[in-house]
Amino acid sequence: MDLLKVESVEAGYGLIQVLWRTSIIVEENQCVVLLGVNGAGKTTLLRTIIGLVEATKGDIVFDGENITGLKPNVRVSRGIAYMSELAVVPDLTVEENLKLGGYVKNRDDTRRMADKAYEYFPDLKAYRTRKAASLSGGQRKMLGVAKTLMSNPKILVMDEPSSGLSPKFVKKVIEILKLLYEEERPSMLIAEQNVAFLDLAQKIYILDKGKVTFTGSVNALKENDTIRETYFGIMH
Amino acid sequence: MDLLAYTIIAGIMYGIFFGLVGLGLNIIFGVMRMINLAHGDFIMLGAFLAFWLFYLFGINPLLVIPIATTVFFLIGFPLYYAFVPRLSKSSDPEMLSFILFFGLSQVIEAVIILAFGNNQRSIPSTVFGTSSFSILGQSFPKAWLATTLVAFAAFIIIYWYFRHTRLGYATRAIMSNREEALISGIDIDRVSAIAFCLGLVFASVAGIFSYFMIGAAYPSMGPDLTTVSFAIIVLGSLGSPLGTVIGGLLYGVAVMFMQTYFSSWANILPYILLIVIMLLKPEGLFGKAARSA
Repeated sequence: MDLLKVESVEAGYGLIQVLWRTSIIVEENQCVVLLGVNGAGKTTLLRTIIGLVEATKGDIVFDGENITGLKPNVRVSRGIAYMSELAVVPDLTVEENLKLGGYVKNRDDTRRMADKAYEYFPDLKAYRTRKAASLSGGQRKMLGVAKTLMSNPKILVMDEPSSGLSPKFVKKVIEILKLLYEEERPSMLIAEQNVAFLDLAQKIYILDKGKVTFTGSVNALKENDTIRETYFGIMH
Repeated sequence: MDLLAYTIIAGIMYGIFFGLVGLGLNIIFGVMRMINLAHGDFIMLGAFLAFWLFYLFGINPLLVIPIATTVFFLIGFPLYYAFVPRLSKSSDPEMLSFILFFGLSQVIEAVIILAFGNNQRSIPSTVFGTSSFSILGQSFPKAWLATTLVAFAAFIIIYWYFRHTRLGYATRAIMSNREEALISGIDIDRVSAIAFCLGLVFASVAGIFSYFMIGAAYPSMGPDLTTVSFAIIVLGSLGSPLGTVIGGLLYGVAVMFMQTYFSSWANILPYILLIVIMLLKPEGLFGKAARSA
């Protein structure tokens, strides 16, 4: 079943239009990776999905409901969890960030989910009372992932979970997401420019200058010569 | 030596009170990134509320606190929803908010003058008893003690609110990063509206006790108090409500020293502090860069 449907959406900032009739679909329990270079419009598309950027045309349908006009906080309470590039609220502690992740849920759920989050991310438990701003880039992304899980969302939307991380940490983030996906089967939409994330994907969209230029599986992607050159360089 | 001890102790009490004077302005700035130019007028409204309740019904200023809290929540909510969401949608909300709150300040002042005349009002400090109390051999009126304790309690309450309540950490999330707060599912308008009301409530409570620390109240006292409050929160740190107490203490002790040793200069102190801080350390003495957001 289609969980998230972005239908011919146009959006941008003032006079600058970024998305041009962009359409993507994320099915239930599916992990979708949105690949694109810097400036391709990935972040804008994600921000339009959560409601930080207004769609000037087109519809966003989530779980059977048209959410195009809803405020971001309402979309979160409908079951969309969003992780920005920043991933956390810097001035709050690790624990407070987790609580914030469960803000739209009731307290008991939050406590239960926090315990579960600490199971997944034992490092975080040691830093409970530290401010998120004091964490390393990798720890911050881990906290970001944990935070998005706190609301027990129907879909995880992540903007460049690898940004600012060393290759070692990128690998760790991918491992965590893989483990998470295998155990919980959440629906995921991940925007990335790092092809290492394609391992996670069941479906790939390539976004270029605000338009979807490719839709398909990893294998289909690798068979496409132009794309292979652009994203994989000389590697095969 | 006695004079020095008196100056310091009085300065500290005075300072804690002035922390309360600035607190509401800083809460509102921290959450909404807007300077409430009518802040001083809400202090004046608190003072007038306390005066009339005392004058007509003999209600003690301490009992005016819950009444003021109720009244300013009732005023704050509609005021917030009438203006702020619309302001936020404009291309330059900060500038527009200056004009709007400046206008509000003028309206409040004019309405109070129309209603009660441009007269000075006061509540005698004997309302807290005629006896005095002493600290380190220096004696002070009981009203000072009551005021200091109320201001101190206000800081404890706001600290507790920020650290231990759901709304409190939601408020801090907004102060830290508005967008992250929004995508965490926080209803920014609702939490901001509550912060706005709290800002007005703390202003009004400062007003209730202003008689004992700064003397008579009058309808046009607002703008001066706004300036003083602004100097205090810049001194502490803009956007960090608990930093206000530091700003208040520095201001209070400085004012007391000026009044004791160079009294004719005391009135321009807030302006000088404001200019010096802006030139040397615009993020406040203890703050991080408030304008990075």
